[in-house]
Formats: sequence, C-alpha cells, structure tokens
Amino acid sequence: MTTPSTPPSPAPAAKSPFSDRRLRTELSIVGIVAVLLLVVFPLLNAWGVVSNFQLQLWGKYLSYALLAISVDLLWGYTGLLSLGQGLFFALGGYMHGMYLMRMIGELGQYKMPIPDFLVFLGWTELPSFWKPFDSFAFAMLMVLLVPGLLAYGFGYLAFRSRIKGVYFSILTQALTYAAMTLFFRNNLLMGGNNGFTDFKFVLGHSLVDPEQGPATMRGLFIATGITLLLVYGLCRWLSTTKFGLVQRAIRDGENRVLFSGYASAHFKLFIFVLSALIAGIGGALYTPQAGIINPEEMKPANSLEAVVWVAVGGRGTLLGPILGAVGVNWLKSWATRAYPDLWLIILGGLFILVVLFLPGGLVSLPKRLAALWRKLRGGDKTPDTAPSPAPSATKS
Amino acid sequence: MSFSRVLFAAALFVLLELSAFAAEPPRETIARAVLAPDTSTRRDLISSLAGKGDEDLAALLDAWRVAPLYVYESEITGRVAVQLVGPKDGNGAQDAIRVDDGSPLVDAAGTPLRLVDSTLASVRITTPLRAAIKSVLDLLDLNSPVASRRIDAIKTLGFSQDTEKEPLLRERLDTETDSKVRIALREAIALIHLASADKDTRLAALGELRELHTLSSYGLLESTFRDAQASGDTAIAEAARVAIRAVDSHRAKVDFLGTLFRGVSLGSILLVVALGLAITFGLMGVINMAHGEMIAVGAYTTYVVQNLFGAGLVIPFFGMNLGLPGMNLQGWGYQTYFIFALPVSFLAAAVVGIGLERSVIQFLYRRPLESLLATWGVSLVLQQIFRLMFGANNVQVSSPSYLSGNWTIDDVTLGWNRVFVIGFAILLVFGVWLVLTKTPLGLLIRAVMQNRRMAACMGVRTERVNMLTFGLGSGLAGLAGAFVSQINNVGPALGQSYIVDSFMVVVVGGVGNVLGTVISALGIGAIDNVFQQYLPAWVTEAGAIPWIGNFLQNLGQDSAVFGKILVLAGIILFLQWRPAGIFVTRSRNLEG
Repeated sequence: MTTPSTPPSPAPAAKSPFSDRRLRTELSIVGIVAVLLLVVFPLLNAWGVVSNFQLQLWGKYLSYALLAISVDLLWGYTGLLSLGQGLFFALGGYMHGMYLMRMIGELGQYKMPIPDFLVFLGWTELPSFWKPFDSFAFAMLMVLLVPGLLAYGFGYLAFRSRIKGVYFSILTQALTYAAMTLFFRNNLLMGGNNGFTDFKFVLGHSLVDPEQGPATMRGLFIATGITLLLVYGLCRWLSTTKFGLVQRAIRDGENRVLFSGYASAHFKLFIFVLSALIAGIGGALYTPQAGIINPEEMKPANSLEAVVWVAVGGRGTLLGPILGAVGVNWLKSWATRAYPDLWLIILGGLFILVVLFLPGGLVSLPKRLAALWRKLRGGDKTPDTAPSPAPSATKS
Repeated sequence: MSFSRVLFAAALFVLLELSAFAAEPPRETIARAVLAPDTSTRRDLISSLAGKGDEDLAALLDAWRVAPLYVYESEITGRVAVQLVGPKDGNGAQDAIRVDDGSPLVDAAGTPLRLVDSTLASVRITTPLRAAIKSVLDLLDLNSPVASRRIDAIKTLGFSQDTEKEPLLRERLDTETDSKVRIALREAIALIHLASADKDTRLAALGELRELHTLSSYGLLESTFRDAQASGDTAIAEAARVAIRAVDSHRAKVDFLGTLFRGVSLGSILLVVALGLAITFGLMGVINMAHGEMIAVGAYTTYVVQNLFGAGLVIPFFGMNLGLPGMNLQGWGYQTYFIFALPVSFLAAAVVGIGLERSVIQFLYRRPLESLLATWGVSLVLQQIFRLMFGANNVQVSSPSYLSGNWTIDDVTLGWNRVFVIGFAILLVFGVWLVLTKTPLGLLIRAVMQNRRMAACMGVRTERVNMLTFGLGSGLAGLAGAFVSQINNVGPALGQSYIVDSFMVVVVGGVGNVLGTVISALGIGAIDNVFQQYLPAWVTEAGAIPWIGNFLQNLGQDSAVFGKILVLAGIILFLQWRPAGIFVTRSRNLEG
C-alpha cells in the first residue's frame, strides 16, 4: 500500500496537461452531443417522436451526470474517494423540494395552506424555518449554501487533521448514513420517509398539467443540459489551470506537494466544497424531474453507485463520469424491467469486472483496443504507450 | 417408682396428644371447618391456619374458592367432608376425595366411591370465608421454599398496611436467613408501621425506609409526604422527603448501572460484528464492503441449521430446488441447534470469504480504494443471491430458551441474551488474541502484515497466509451473524445495517490493533446508550435555548436516532484529536 503509484493512463504527460489533439477530439464530441441533447432531443419530444417519459428519464440521467462529475472531481482528479456525494445531491434536492412543496399551495390532499405531511403531523401553521422557502431565490441560495456549508464544515475538520484515503471514504459514508437516519424521522419536519412529492408548479409553470407539463419538463431538461455543459466547461478550464495541476499533484503524491510548500488542505477543501455545490445543483435539478425526493436518495448505497458510474465511465476524465452516469442508469432502467431479479447481480458483476479488468473505464476502451490491435498486428514498436494496467491514484 | 413412671408416661401421653392436636394437619382443620355448623366457626378455624400449611393446602383452598366442598354421610364413614374432582360421567358422578387426609373416599369393601354433586350437601364460600382464605393463602406463601414467592407474599402484606399481620412478619424476620427476603420483610414491617397512629413509630419507619431505599416503597412514601404536608406535620414530611431522596438516588444508581450494562452489551455486539473487520481491514488493509454480507451468511447459515434440526427446508436457486431434510427434533434437542450453528456459521462464512479472496481481492491488495469498490459489487451480488435463495422477506430464527429470561441484581435487570453476548464477545476476543499471538498461523499473519516482502523472502507463502487471514476474518463475521440472528431480523439487507457501525469501530480503534477495536466498541456502545438514556432529559432543558430550542426538543423525542447522530459527530471530532484512532501503529514510512 505504500508503493509509489503509477500515473493514471487517461491523465496526460507531465509537460502539457493534455495534448491538443485529444482536447480537440473531446471538444468536438462534446459539441455534437450537446447539440443532440439540447436541441434535437427536446425538438423530437415536442414533435412527439420521443415520449415524455423518455425525456423525463434522460433529464434524470443528466442530473445524475452532475453528481458523477462531482464524484470524479474529488476521486479522479484529487484522489479523495467521497462516499457522501449522494448526501449533497439529496440536500440540494431537498432544498429545491421545500420550494416546490410551498408552490403546491392549497392543492394538496388536505386543501390546507401548509404541506400535507405537516397537517398529518398536527401542525396548523408553517414552522419558522419553512417560511423563507416561498421565495425561489432563497431556495436556490439554500441549494448552494446547505451542501456547501456542510461540506465546508466537514471538510475543514477532515482535512485539517489530515484524514485521507480510506478513512476519508468511511467518514463521508458515516456522515451520509447519519443524515439519512435523521431525514427518516418525522420530527425533522422534512417529510419523514415519504419525503416530498406531488409537486405542482415550478416558477408558475405547471408540472402536471397535460398541456403545460411537457413544455415545463422540456424546459427543465434543457436547463439540466446547459448546467451540465457549464459544469463540464468549468471543470475543463479548471484542469488546465495551475490549480488543476496542484490538484492532480495532490492525487499523485500529496507529501511532495506539502514539501513543495503548498497547503494541500486548502486545495482539498476548495475542491470538496465545489464538488458539493455541483452535486447540490444536480439534486436541485433532479427533484422536479423525478417528482419526488426522499431519504432513499441519501442511502450510502446511492453514493457508492455514483462512484460506480465514474469507475465504469472512466475516472480522471470529464467525459467518463457523464458517459458512466448515463450509461449505467440507462442499463439500470432497461435491466430492472427486463431482468428484475438479476439487476443487482448485473450491476455488481459489472462493477467487479470494471475494477479488475478495465481500471480506466469505458473511455479507455478505444485506446486499449488500439493497443491490442497493434499488438495483434505484431508491429508493437512502442510498448511504453500501452496503458498501464493499474491507473492507481490512490494511497491508503 | 412405678407410679412415677406411670405418671410420667401419662404426662408424656398428654403432651404428645396436645402437640398432636396443636400440629393437627391443616387438611383436617379444613375438614372440620366444612363440617362446622356455622360460618363464624368456619372462619375461626380457617383463620387458625394462618402461617401454616403447604402447597397442597393452597391447592385445596384455591379449589374451594372455585367449587364448593361437600358433606357426605353414610353408616360406615359418618359425616365426611369431600371434594369432587375429575370429569363427570354419564350419571353426573365424580371421584370423591376426603378433605381430611386427601385419600379417595372408599366404601366398606375398599372400592372408591363416585358421587353425584346434586345429591350432597354443599358448603360454599361466603364473603367472610373468602377474606379468611385469602389472608391464609397470602401468609401461606410466607413459608414457601421459593424465595421469590416469599418476597411476593411479604410485599402484598406490606402494601396492605394491615397492622394485624405485623407480628407474623416479625416472627418470620427472626427465622429468615435469605438476605433479599429479610429486606422485603423489613420493608413490609416499616410500611405497616407507616400506617400507625403513633408519630414516633412512623418516624422510625421512615428512617428504616430511608435506609432500605427500595424502589417499591416510593409510592407510599410520596403519599405519606403529601399527607404530612397537608396536615402540617413537618417532622414526618421532612423524614419522608429524606427517604424519598434516598430512593431517588438509589434509582439514579440503578438507572446508571442499567445504562452501563446495556451500553456494554451493545458495545459487545459492535465488537463481535467489527472483530472480523478488524482483521480484514485492520490487519490486511482490505476494505471489505461485503463484510456485512459475511455477517448475513452466518445468520442465514444459522437459519438453515435451525431448519435442519426442525422440519427441513427447500431452497430455490436459479430454477433448481434444493431440498434439505429436517431431523424434526423437539424441546431441548431442537434448542441445541444454536450450539451447532456457531461453528457451521464460522465455516460457511470462512469458505465464502476465501472464495472472495481468491477470485477478487487477491488482485487488489495494492489498491485499497478499488478493493472497496469491487467488494461493494460483491456485496450487491451476494444480497441478490440471498434474495433469490431465501426470499426478499425476513426469515424466522427462533431464540433458544436459554437465551431468554432475566437476572436481577440489586434492582438492575440483566437480560440473559445481553449477558450472553458479553460473554461471547469476551471469548471471541480471547480466541482471536490466542490465534494471533500463540499459534504459528498468527505469527505468519503478523509477519506478512508487517512486511510482506520481507516475509516472502524468508520463505513465508504470503499468498496462502492472505487467504487464511481473510478466511479467519470472514469466519468471525459469520460467527457474528449467528449471534446477530438472535437479536435482529434476518433478511437480505441485514449486513447493510452493520457495515457503517463496524467501520466506525475499527477506524476509531486504530487500524491494526485488536485491543483498540475492543476499547472503541465498548466506548461507542456505552456512549450511545448514555445518550439514549439521558438525552430526553437534557433536551427538555434545551427548550430554554432561544431559536433552536424548540427544534432540539422536537428532535430529542427520537433520542435513539439523535443519539446515534451525536455519536457519529463525536467520532469525527475524536478523529481531529487522534486521526489514526486510539492506538496508532507507528512507522517510519512517510505514507504509512
């Protein structure tokens, strides 16, 4: 566990953060996919080619992609495996959910001016901390502030005492677990195990109206896509800066970074908070499209699943997590219907296979296939360019 | 000379006769009461039985309270009191038992008589008789050979505050040797004195109660205090207040000890569950997210063994049905299943663990975070296999009778299963310590864990040691599973409920140290229970805090959950102070 780690294969050579050719390829792929997703897909939906269900489903996939990027930013780029990103995702979702609950108004089951579950718990007026959530702006501020502050507080304590590696993973998981047990309680006044659901309006647009609903959903879908594109751009830009370099240096040899005079804890804290914000935004976009947010989203297993997406897609890259999140969730939607009994075995097996045999994830597949192709042709003159079998950026 | 001998013999005879009369068997007294002409004679006769008699008498009196006794008259036997027992036959006749000696009633030829109740004169219980019988029965238990029954009888007498019974209790106090019964006697006497009219007696009684500080006297002390205050009797009120305070402090002590005990038992559960992880994670550095599923393997194995001892089991698996015949044992034979389940669970989980190590983990020793991910995949697969084999619902695992029941020491109640888990944890820790320090395997394990390459150079087959170590850790998880099946539901998600706790215990304890695991498990268990016990009280006070007071109070109602969250927060803060856990493995290695 103390052996020096080999540099990850998708990561570039030391001189330039990534080669221009690769960047151009990646950017053109992103451009094409963005046009397809942001323009063509909603248009197809408007023309009735793509069902509303499919649009909603893909909207959820894209929200999950944001969660996956937040995991990758920590794990792939900084070497911090957080098993608590699902918590920040859910918190963002809950904050937006509180606004959406207020927007139901008196259209709930009980026809009361406060959310149904509060009526059920015997409340007659709104608890004070619910009141500001009538404002969309305040709710959006909380979408950023609540995950951000929690990440800041936890990260400050964790990085200050130099908790890293597996310890960091386990503590983030414990944090998620604690939050989940808390949110399951009715006394928290956050909906208990049912969470928030039955949303009716967002910013005055109906979510359920047969006329207006699909258009609102298209709007949400496009908003999610644009957010994803922006986050992708931000992370892409960040990785080219000196900050990004230090970030990767922390991943590959934190002690050397420390000895070079960098306060690695500050860098890690910044990244941790940033990724919590991204996850929170993802959650906020997820809630209206999924139509529900409940403590199930905080289950430690969900955070682990987000890590699976990244691992399957390819960590240490930015396309990988997006590909993994969309791909695995698409597979999940398909397999839970086709093979409901075997779905978990498929997911678990996929995971074991990827970790054991494809450490670079799906995005490393073309490169590996090319290497294999060269090898088969016998003219293997450049063995050094073959991907290293273990892109381990981890230390224990 | 001869005269004096005759006189002596006569005196002896009279004495014997008298004592015989004095020691007249209780049954004969009852027979006389039944034959007596009126109720008041009956009552006197029955009351004279106070403090005498045995189980047999109690049964007779109990029977009399339900069904009448009868008077049978015939030439041969004269008037006899009889009890009719057994089922009625076609003529309505039942077996007749003589009340005076308990033998069957016979005719001249010696054959048992069967009598019809409607042909006999019946003697029913009347209200005064009922009262007399009740007080006799109450006192009867005073002589019971079973201490707990004596205590119950004494307490009943004490709470009735019946001054007439006081001399009897005093008499009993002189001969009683059992210390618990003596305390109950003193309490009862003091409680009776509390009802007395004499002020000094009451003061003395209050002093006695303060000294005894029994929980049961609390109610009467409180009412005495209120009455005394109402009537302005300051001396009594003060004495009662002091006595109440003594009981209160005793209660606080009992609560504290109970909390401590529950904490230690919860800690033992955590310890049992985390011990396997302390080996696979602590010693080997493998993050086995499937550890919880190893526990579930143990629990399901217990379930299978239980069914092998019982009615058998059919396990569906990928379309095949695996039928296991049962031995259909009953009673104790069935209940011993748990003893057999322990080693079988260990072996089953160890085999699964070794399989896991060979197929997945051996490739990931240098990549701990990736072993975390791969083993999580394994845990998903295993969970689904459990679901396919045993169904998505919980399965029924019965508790053997020797694991239920209580044990009370000085008002602190100790549940047998909790005592058992503590003992089990001690044995397990001792066993692990023995294996690690006193066996050749333990030596190899420690050598490989300290320096894998060096050990390999010395000719240790590190691959095999890894396999066996992982098998040992998994087997311990299986043992934990067998135990957990007794206190928790056994279902496919069983492992998930333990995984976070187990990792917490090992992280706090410090990696690579079994002693640290022990301390952290017990500490976390104890703190958790302290929160559960005292949080509601603290939170009530927190209501005074502005702004968040109400919110805290609200949460405090879920003291179990809130306490758990506080424990987790405490662990994060604790790691600020000791980032590597309680015991740090020191190393010159920078990355270590």
